[in-house]
Amino acid sequence: MTTTNRAAVRLSRVTRLFDGLAAVSQVSIEVAEGETVWLRGWNGSGKTTLLRLIATAISPTFGGGSVLGFDLRAERSAIRARTDLLSHETRLYGDLTAAENLHFACRLYDIDPRWAGPALDRVGLEDVAAVRVARFSQGMRQRLALARCLMRGPALILLDEPYAALDVEARVVVDELLTTAQASRRTVVVASHEAPPAHLVDRQLTMDGGRVIAPAEVVPS
Amino acid sequence: MSSLRVTQAIVAKDLRTEMRSRSAVSTVLPFAATMLLAFGFALGPDRLLLAQTAPALLWLAALFASVELCHRSYQHEAANDALEGLLLSPADKGAVYLGKAAAAFVQLSVLLVVTTGIVIVLFGLPVGPAPALLLLTAVLGIAGLSTLGSLLGLLTVRSRSRQAALPVLVLPLVSPVIIAATKATAGLTHGSTAGIRGWLGLLVAFDVAYLAAGYVVFGHLLED
Repeated sequence: MTTTNRAAVRLSRVTRLFDGLAAVSQVSIEVAEGETVWLRGWNGSGKTTLLRLIATAISPTFGGGSVLGFDLRAERSAIRARTDLLSHETRLYGDLTAAENLHFACRLYDIDPRWAGPALDRVGLEDVAAVRVARFSQGMRQRLALARCLMRGPALILLDEPYAALDVEARVVVDELLTTAQASRRTVVVASHEAPPAHLVDRQLTMDGGRVIAPAEVVPS
Repeated sequence: MSSLRVTQAIVAKDLRTEMRSRSAVSTVLPFAATMLLAFGFALGPDRLLLAQTAPALLWLAALFASVELCHRSYQHEAANDALEGLLLSPADKGAVYLGKAAAAFVQLSVLLVVTTGIVIVLFGLPVGPAPALLLLTAVLGIAGLSTLGSLLGLLTVRSRSRQAALPVLVLPLVSPVIIAATKATAGLTHGSTAGIRGWLGLLVAFDVAYLAAGYVVFGHLLED
């Protein structure tokens, strides 16, 4: 798979402490622009924290780096405008409908609201566009969050356990997102305890105990 | 990106959420009404005493309603981690704060209209000879409660002590607003405009200070 040499993510000795305990410890990684990297590890290995650090949802306690050429600490707004973090916390409003949630996101991200309809079509939620999200299953919520990501088209996509709670149909949507991201040379970092679909991933990193261990090592599934 | 559009989106989202969840109607309003009723019965049938205490009780009810309302507003944000969605969006965080404060202002205004009706009926509170000034007092008082509550309400979902943090922080800071609004309301309803200008000036000063502080500080409080 073709990637450019510029680093979309460059972290240098990043550590994140929670109550004195290191969730991520001395992690240094580089992800090239257009690359799809699979971050694999058990629960508690630090995958989610690492994704949240890259997304600037949290700040590193020590260390630093850059994302899409912007400094991780000083240029968070620029990183946020170009990055999307998808996790099991869908960041949706239960009292709003699916369409209203997307329209709200359009306002926040300064996107044309006309993109909302096609995005809903793409994840198969067009028939429930007027239904409140509180009535959705977890899988439907994740699909809606996926629609929001598709609508935005960010340069860097961070997926935390993207296949969790999804049925077969929705898993296909995630695979499509990965395929589309590769075709459009977007950078993707996926954190998962599952083995990666080999045809969709350029490189696998393994995390354990808050550290990225040798890429060749694979956590048993 | 237009900050005004972000503010409008937050206002529309918060009001829509409230209209559908009816959390203010189902909890805040009965609480305020029960409090006023309890005080009404406790004070007895003395019409003069009731009318004298009514302004303070009205603003106390508004204060408790604002604490509960702002807490609930951020509970909606905390569900599904929507608050982090606001953080990770490139939207101007000051504009987000203005939207939260404006939505709280609208909701508190509706609540104050209802509670004022209860106070007029139960306590025999007169409107007084200057209803326009009374309306101005209400607007300035609600603005103070909304701007401060919308800033500190964020701490209820960010701090470890959660909901307990809100009254502890709000009550000392909001005291000047409550005192000024009560004194102005008491003076106007009893036909005295002496000193009103000073109390209204104090309300304006605190409203501007809270609004400016909220606009500047909100983004920092939202960060990790």
